[in-house]
Parts: sequence; C-alpha cells; structure tokens
Amino acid sequence: MTAIAKGQDAPKSQAELLYEIQLRKERQFRGNVAITWVLLVLFLLLVFSSLEIRSSNGTTELAIWTFEKVTKDGREILEKTRTGIATFSIGLPNEGITLNTILVDKNFIAQNFTFIARGIYWTIRISLFSIALATILALLAALARLSSVPFVYALSTFYVSLIRGTPLYLQILFFFLALPQLSINLSGEMAGVLALGLNYGAYMSEIFRAGIASVGKGQREAALAIGMTQGQTMRRIVLPQALRFAIPPVGNDFIAMTKDSALVAATGFVHELTWNAQKVGRAQFRSLEALIIAALFYWSMTILLSYVQNKIETRLSKGER
Amino acid sequence: MDNKPGFSPMPIVKIENLDKYFGHLHVLKNVSLEVPERQVICLIGRSGSGKSTLLRCINFLEEPSHGTIEVDGIKVAGGEKGREHRQLIHDVRLKTGMVFQEFNLFPHMTVLENVIEGPVIVKGMDRKKAIELAEQNLDSVGLLFKKDEYPNRLSGGQKQRVAIARALTMEPRVMLFDEPTSALDPELIGEVLNVMKKVALEGMTMIVVTHEMGFAREVADRVIVMAEGELVEDNKPEQIFNAPKDPRTEALINRYRTGAN
Ligand SMILES: Nc1ncnc2c1ncn2[C@@H]1O[C@H](COP(=O)(O)OP(=O)(O)OP(=O)(O)O)[C@@H](O)[C@H]1O
Ligand SMILES: [Mg+2]
Repeated sequence: MTAIAKGQDAPKSQAELLYEIQLRKERQFRGNVAITWVLLVLFLLLVFSSLEIRSSNGTTELAIWTFEKVTKDGREILEKTRTGIATFSIGLPNEGITLNTILVDKNFIAQNFTFIARGIYWTIRISLFSIALATILALLAALARLSSVPFVYALSTFYVSLIRGTPLYLQILFFFLALPQLSINLSGEMAGVLALGLNYGAYMSEIFRAGIASVGKGQREAALAIGMTQGQTMRRIVLPQALRFAIPPVGNDFIAMTKDSALVAATGFVHELTWNAQKVGRAQFRSLEALIIAALFYWSMTILLSYVQNKIETRLSKGER
Repeated sequence: MDNKPGFSPMPIVKIENLDKYFGHLHVLKNVSLEVPERQVICLIGRSGSGKSTLLRCINFLEEPSHGTIEVDGIKVAGGEKGREHRQLIHDVRLKTGMVFQEFNLFPHMTVLENVIEGPVIVKGMDRKKAIELAEQNLDSVGLLFKKDEYPNRLSGGQKQRVAIARALTMEPRVMLFDEPTSALDPELIGEVLNVMKKVALEGMTMIVVTHEMGFAREVADRVIVMAEGELVEDNKPEQIFNAPKDPRTEALINRYRTGAN
C-alpha cells in the first residue's frame, strides 16, 4: 500500500503541469463557445435586419427595407420601401446575386412592445400559482405513494397515471370548456392554474419520492430511537432533507412551467405573453414580429431563471451535508 | 458474579425467550438476558450471529417475533399490534439511548440542534433547559466548542461523540451501542472508546456490540458471546478471554488474537 502511495506522490509536479494544461484547454473551450454564441446572435440579428445586399454589374449596393405609410386612393396603407444605404464600386458581373433578409415591421414592434410585455405579469403569476399548487400535490402524492394503506397508495398512483396519460393541452381545455357543462365555471386563470398544477404535480411527485428515498434508513432509525413518532420523523428529519434534495429539479420544472403556461392562452381569457402576441399579431397581420417578441421574452426569462437557479444550487451544495 | 440468576434485585433490561425471524430465517433463538443497573455488557460474535438484531429488538427498531422485552419496568411483548403496543414501544425508547455504527447525525441541524431535538420535540422539555443539558453533555464528550457546526464539518470520531451526547441528553436508563467504532479510521477509535469508558464510569448501564477486545477486557463487567442467534457464553471478560468454555468462544477469541476479524 505505502509503495503504491509513494509511486503516486513522486511525479507530483508533472501532475500539476497536466492539470494546468487541462485548465487552459477548458478555458479556451469556454472562450470559443462564448465567441460562437455572440456570432450566432449576430447572425440571427442579421437574418431579421431587413437589409439587402445586391451585387451586380460590377457594383455592390447595401440597402434597407422598411414599411412606409403611403396614401393611395385616399386610404393610408403600408408599403414596402427600399432605401439605399451605401454603394461600392466593386461587385459581381452581370446579374450577380441579391441577398435578402427578413423584413420586420419596426413600427409595429415599437407600438406593440409594451402591450405584449404586459403579458409577462400573467405568465409569471400563473406559473407561481401553478408551481405552488403542483408542489403541494406532488408532496402529497409522494407521501401517499409511500403509504402502506392500499386506498391511499392507489389514490396516488391513479392520479399520476391519469394525468401522465393525457395531454396537458387537453387538461387545460377540460377545466375551461368541459366543466361549465357541469355548471362549474372557472375563470381562465383558475382553469389554467388547476390544470398546470395538477399536471406538474403528477410529474413532480417523482422528484419528491426520490428526495424522500434519498434520506437514508439510518436517519429514520436515529429519529425513532430518540422516541420520535413516525409523523415527527417525517416532518422534522426526512422531509427537510428531501426538500433540499428536491429544490434543483423543482427549479427546472418552474422554468418549464413558465413556458407551458403559454397553453393557457387557449382559454382566450388569460392575457399572458402568448395570448397578447397572438392577438396583436393576428389583428395587424404581423404575427412574425409579435411572436418573435414573445419568444424573446420567454427566452430572456428562461436565461434569467436558470441563472438564479444556478446560484441557488451552488449555495445549497456548499451548505450542509 | 453479577450474572447469577436473581443476584441483582432490579435488572434494567430483561429479555425473556426472545425469538426473531426474518422471513424463514431464524435469527434470534429463544434468547433470555438480564442486565442489572450500572453493568456494562459487551456483546461479541461473528458477523451474522445476530448481535445487531438483538440490540435493535431492545428498542424495537426490530419488532421481536416472540418473547418479551422489559426496560426499567416497562414490559412489552413482541409481535403485537395496536395503539397500546406503540405507546409501550415509545416508552421503552425513552428509556434507551442508541448509538449507531454510521453515527446518523441529522445533517440539516447543527450539533446543538441535533442534541436538543429529542428533549425538546419528544419530551417537550423547555428549550433553555434542553440547551443547558445539551451543552453539559457536549462538554463531557469534549465537543462543546463545535456546538454550532454542521455535522459535515466534523471528523468521524467527533460525529460519534456528538451521537453519544445526543443519546445521553435524552437521559436514558440504558445505552445501546452497535459497533460504534467500526466506521472510524483507526486513529479516531480511541477518542470514542474513551468517551464510552467515561460514560460507563459515570454509572450508565450499557450494552455494547463491538470488535474492540481491549475495550471489552478493560471496561466490560460481562462479555456475552453470540453464535447463530444464541448466547453461547456469558461471563466475566477474564474468563472469556483466558479460559473460554465454549469452542465457538475459543475460535472467536483466537480469530481476534491472530488479528483477523
Ligand atoms: N432486515 C433484515 N432482513 C432480513 N434479514 C436480516 C435483516 N437484518 C439482519 N438480517 C439477517 O439476520 C442475521 C443476523 O444479522 P445481524 O445484523 O443481527 O448480525 P450481526 O451479528 O450484527 O452481524 P455484523 O457483525 O455483520 O453486524 C444475518 O443473517 C442477517 O443477514
Ligand atoms: Mg451488526
């Protein structure tokens, strides 16, 4: 044993060298990833920049397309208008090539940005209510799943099976459209929160079950040995540890929830991001612009939430245990 | 000799005709045992002989199949069910402290919180009083200065000493130790054994499952040898180690002597 240990210790400086090389490689890799990200974002901006590059007859022209208001037959309409920006005296001969990017209506964006943005409030509100409901249901389902009472156990597995066996979209519609037939009228928000909460609760019960299972048998025995009841053991020893285990995956589900909340737009009565975008987009035949705005909001929210979640996770892993 | 029947008027632990089955496996076979107050018993035997099971039957972490357990006058018959039975088990657990091989400290609580958890939550003791008692016991295991640390910042030996303080703070009548030093690095075993010796000297009744023959020799009043679910020899340490009567005891002692265990 000691001989082996010595053998590993001797070339320590070389190991450190290798480690440094490894670190440098990793840093380089991350740098290149960051650069590529920036390039991809720039490329995306270019694709939607409304720019046109035309290279023909030995000259190259850079132009921009916009929608301009013009009056025709006494009516104001928007017309695609091309404005030259720059001309260079080198270029391809004859016909050459014309590169066109996608034309977006900047006026529309400017006018409707805040209207769509107001949907964020409802998106977050629905997500928060739904995740709260889902967490409670998931915890109950997980505890019921651990029960030795057949009725309770069956209730849990039945719930999970039913919910996982049907589409979320259908569940939302069911709460909003089918329940009124039974004289149960829920607001769009209520139907959405119930459906999302029930749905995510079923999936998340697995997280809590795993969390509870991750708490060793020894913990329970130590609690029982000092005279705790089963209930006290669960509440004071097992669940606090299980919840800590569950925080990162619940965070994941919350992020997923902010996006699935878009389905609540189907009720037509919750003015969250997707609904707002659809409404103004359809009305003005500018769905491209409207949906892009909504997509950017979702994307930014996801990035922000992932960042927060990362921070929480590193805090937790530094903590006890 | 303490182990003569009827010698001690008041056994703290009295086990009568205990049987334990795991499915078809007969793990404890009609075991009877009396432990008088203040006595320290070391329970030794080969792996699988049923030492842990016997210990865990005393505080009902394992439910005995047949037979009775009596701790400090509370008599519980094994294999029963119902609220009354659960209440009796609870009462017995309040009279027994247990120390596990794997420490089993609560990782989400500080050392002090670990120690006061039982008194406050189970006994409903006033928090101030519990802290006072806890600090006293932490001091006696030499870890008062770690009271605000979380368990993951302690060495194995320190964890086990906290576990002992946690059990003591419940003020049990008997302490059960299941291989308390088996999960420790060799250099940390001593500190835990020293604490156990101190607890013994303070007059605690103790049943210790251990492979530490030095401790058994020095601290135990009685050494009991288990084999295949039976108590095959029960005697003073010098008898067990110097003049074993049962061939299984002799084989076991020889194994320890040659360093294999
Ligand atoms: N929960 C259980 N289910 C089934 N069998 C078990 C269980 N616990 C223990 N056993 C079996 O009972 C027998 C006695 O086990 P026990 O743990 O009491 O032995 P031990 O003397 O403590 O051994 P060791 O020195 O390895 O700890 C073994 O054969 C073991 O496999
Ligand atoms: Mg054992």
